[in-house]
Amino acid sequence: MLANYSALFAVLAFPGGLFALAIGLALKGADRRLAARLQRRVGPPLAQPFFDLVKLARKRTMVPDIAAKPVFLGAPLIGAASMLLAAALVPIAGVYTPDPALGDLLVLLYLLTVPAVVLMVSGSASGSPFGAIGFSREMALMLAYEGPLVLVVAAVAMRTGAGMGARVSFSLSEIVAYQQAHGAFLFDPMLWPALLAFLAFYPANLGIVPFDIPEAETEVLEGPLLEYSGPALGLFKVMSALKAVVVLSLGIALFFPMAPAGLAGLAVQLAKLLLLMLLGVTVLRVSCGRMRIDQAFRFFLKWPLALSLLSLVIVSFA
Amino acid sequence: MSNFTIPVGPLHVALEEPMYFRVDVHGETVANVDIHAGHVHRGIEYLATKRNIFQNVVLTERICSLCSNSHPQAYSMAIEKIAGIVVPERAEYLRAIADEVKRVASHLFNVAILAHLVGFESLFMHVMEIRERMQDVKESLFGNRMDIGANTIGGVRYDIDAERIGYLEQQLAWIENALIEVVALYRSNGSILGRTRGIGVLSHADALECGTVGPVARASGIRYDVRVKAPYAAYDRLEVPVHTLPDGDVWSRAMVRLAEAQTAIDLIRQCVRDLPDGPTTATTERPSIPAGEAIAKCEAPRGELIYYVRVGESPKPERVKWRVPSFMNWDALRIMLRQAKIADIAIIVNSIDPCISCTER
Repeated sequence: MLANYSALFAVLAFPGGLFALAIGLALKGADRRLAARLQRRVGPPLAQPFFDLVKLARKRTMVPDIAAKPVFLGAPLIGAASMLLAAALVPIAGVYTPDPALGDLLVLLYLLTVPAVVLMVSGSASGSPFGAIGFSREMALMLAYEGPLVLVVAAVAMRTGAGMGARVSFSLSEIVAYQQAHGAFLFDPMLWPALLAFLAFYPANLGIVPFDIPEAETEVLEGPLLEYSGPALGLFKVMSALKAVVVLSLGIALFFPMAPAGLAGLAVQLAKLLLLMLLGVTVLRVSCGRMRIDQAFRFFLKWPLALSLLSLVIVSFA
Repeated sequence: MSNFTIPVGPLHVALEEPMYFRVDVHGETVANVDIHAGHVHRGIEYLATKRNIFQNVVLTERICSLCSNSHPQAYSMAIEKIAGIVVPERAEYLRAIADEVKRVASHLFNVAILAHLVGFESLFMHVMEIRERMQDVKESLFGNRMDIGANTIGGVRYDIDAERIGYLEQQLAWIENALIEVVALYRSNGSILGRTRGIGVLSHADALECGTVGPVARASGIRYDVRVKAPYAAYDRLEVPVHTLPDGDVWSRAMVRLAEAQTAIDLIRQCVRDLPDGPTTATTERPSIPAGEAIAKCEAPRGELIYYVRVGESPKPERVKWRVPSFMNWDALRIMLRQAKIADIAIIVNSIDPCISCTER
């Protein structure tokens, strides 16, 4: 029973749940502030994402007449819940090792696709033509970036497995433990192509420029999110904040989990997240424009897929 | 792939003004575009016949904010033709300065919006920051940021002294340097090139057939500029290069605008250098306007603007009619949007720099 309670605690409070949500919103605030400063604007207060969430929570959710109401309202709930669970699956080196009963890397891979699926479903449930276009774009983009992600994860898993004497290891805890014992994969030349592929994957998954195509404001008016308002829209914001934490933490766990134990480890993890958010997300999104969906699709089939495949081949023959 | 009909407008984040495009799409590709206009019709042509000739200078300035100098200028020129008023030389140079100042601001605005539509917010902010310097210039020279009220019948309503010229030159130097950087960016940046090269192509033949004017025509290789073909104000005494590009895509139109903004800075410098002394208006009293009719045209930032005015015995004009550049460029949109992607609709529409309040007045 005790194990069940600790799993529940992990999903709802730490490191998932409230903790991950607070970190995610704070990261978004930092991202918006730095983006503003890079564009010589003042920018919103750091706590703006919190304010937005509180404001949305107090408003009414409008459901369009032509929307499929249960799906329209259910989709954001499923999205936010999936990310709550996912946040509890990613280990924090020296601080948190997820309960194996919760699931391994493969479960995480499935959970990571849920937000995209939720956006597609909600877009089509809203009945808006922009939602429908967002649906088809989200689907094309997901098909493009999921392949490289699976290959990246497979390459890391095989590398860890080879080091541990097994074939593959899909346990994130083992991957983290292996790196802490033998050095981070960040410095492993065999996995450099996979790292590059991962660097292309996360902007697409987080939906930031140049890959914010399904929600492009000036093209499809935020696509699937167009018809959402109030708490339902707030749930999407929760989902997106949690997703930022999950995806960036996954990157840290896969490639550079080195950290001391205890509170210091937590501080190191937060510092890494902030650094990744600012350098990897903010700087990227202010320094380029949006791709067209066909351009993005071709880009993913060309570079990240080839790079992740290369890593996998190297690892499997090494 | 299914077929949808999506509304772009009348209120849409990508459009500055209300316009309604009913776009039939097949997957991501545009199959058919219906353009519906009329959302900002204010009946200004009728209103112009209810005001007297001098009040109309103020009225025409308010037709559109971005070409707000070209309208009263063309109107004044038409009235001056009817009354046979000779505008003093100093006023002609000052008119050219006002024209070019507005041109820089208008072109930079359009090029900035292009970056915004491509999703490149930093570049948008950067170009708008440069434009803001030109807004400062307008405020300092004319006392207003958009409707600068430079023209009056028989001359101009403002004058510049040594102090203002010093300020103007200092700002121009800053803008010129900043523009060099921006032009290099638009020439080389992958995001911009990837989204604008080969998009919304208007061939030379199509451009001629549609009767396009201004930067849209020049980007399709048509060497037509009112400032050169039918010089007005001081343009016959200035060196006005006409920038043309052969490709006729969105990128070419943006590059023509940037080149014209750079040229405009050079033209303002020429005007300031050659600025003769003398009065700024033909008469100190209000001139009397006899009956008659006249046509005048000038090069607004978007292209050729034509005014026709007929005056009878009454102090109110019998008819004021204008043909705006966006009206001519509008038809070309159908050709540009043929087989376009949804993602490019806003970019293509913006590339003709549509001025809807001018077109619908």
